[in-house]
Amino acid sequence: MPTPQLLNDVISVLLLLAPSAALLSLVLAGFSLRREGTMTFAIGGGFTKWMFWAVVFLTLQPLLSWFTSFGVAVPLPSGAPGGIATGWLANFQADVSQFVTNFVVQRMVPTLAAFFVLRAILDAASGQHPLPSILAAMFLLGTQTTYSLLQSYNTGTQYATVDVLDSLWNHLVGTIMPIAAVLALVGAILNFATRKPFLRLVAVSLALLTVSAIWKLLLSMM
Amino acid sequence: MNLGNMSFDQGILHLANWVGNVIMPTLAAAFIIIAILQFSKGQEFAHSMYGALACLMVSGLTRAFETFASQAAWNNPDLYWLSLVTLINWVANVILPVYAASQVAAMALRLGVFSPVHPTSGWLRHFVTAALCLMVSGLLRLAEFFVAQGTAGVT
Repeated sequence: MPTPQLLNDVISVLLLLAPSAALLSLVLAGFSLRREGTMTFAIGGGFTKWMFWAVVFLTLQPLLSWFTSFGVAVPLPSGAPGGIATGWLANFQADVSQFVTNFVVQRMVPTLAAFFVLRAILDAASGQHPLPSILAAMFLLGTQTTYSLLQSYNTGTQYATVDVLDSLWNHLVGTIMPIAAVLALVGAILNFATRKPFLRLVAVSLALLTVSAIWKLLLSMM
Repeated sequence: MNLGNMSFDQGILHLANWVGNVIMPTLAAAFIIIAILQFSKGQEFAHSMYGALACLMVSGLTRAFETFASQAAWNNPDLYWLSLVTLINWVANVILPVYAASQVAAMALRLGVFSPVHPTSGWLRHFVTAALCLMVSGLLRLAEFFVAQGTAGVT
């Protein structure tokens, strides 16, 4: 019995909405980055959870190909994600995609980032660190670029999800962490000048410059 | 607003540059002011003074740390240990001899200006500090020798 056209169209709609879901996940990851802070950001926390889901949504189709190798047929609609025969479903998909791109990402995210800048000032006024709010604002403003970066890491194979996660790790370790090392060094200097413990930040700064080596050290211990 | 040109990497990089090259040199002046005020009240002012110097050297210290962290290939498991060892060597063999010279100068000031030669005045502390600064490696070898002598345990 052939799959009903409506069902095929629903599958197409969901697959076509996956990139929008990835974008929304990135926005939510930005909020979690503020909530969890930066130095207390935990693997398995909200930020990593939303980043993981962004990667999953982005690599949904290659991920589905695993079911075929398990022996479970996943008959994607012909041309999917693409042609949606049912008119109102096609309109629904286009409207949701446009809403996410034009309303959420283009207009709402910059405004929220601006609120985070204000929040940073208020954080400083209340004796907290302004850096988490500033970094969250930067992450939100860079949502589109981060999305493009994730897309460029998508290999389109069965292993696309882990390939993207691998590449993200390399990007984090090779690009972001050396910059974070400078910020840790600045923190160490400020702590020294104000007579607070600073050696921990010196060790952290060196560790941030040698994350790959520490990973290799861990591997060699196993 | 062109969000397509804004990336998190560039944002955090420019933040680090701004903090290191604009804010920290400005804070250096603030720490020098604090050091002067602390000095006037007879309080300990070295942290503020050296902190002000460090604020002016963020780029240089970053390059130094990059050098410490480049003592082996990026995938060498010993790289973190090597970077720590290089940092400690740098402090012991470069910074401490300079500090020793400053202690000798402080001793000379104590002897010649601040107080007459007297066993209880502070000149001896500056002299011993200068000597110790120049003997870090020797002290470490001495401690290692003592520990090595005791490996057999108490009999």
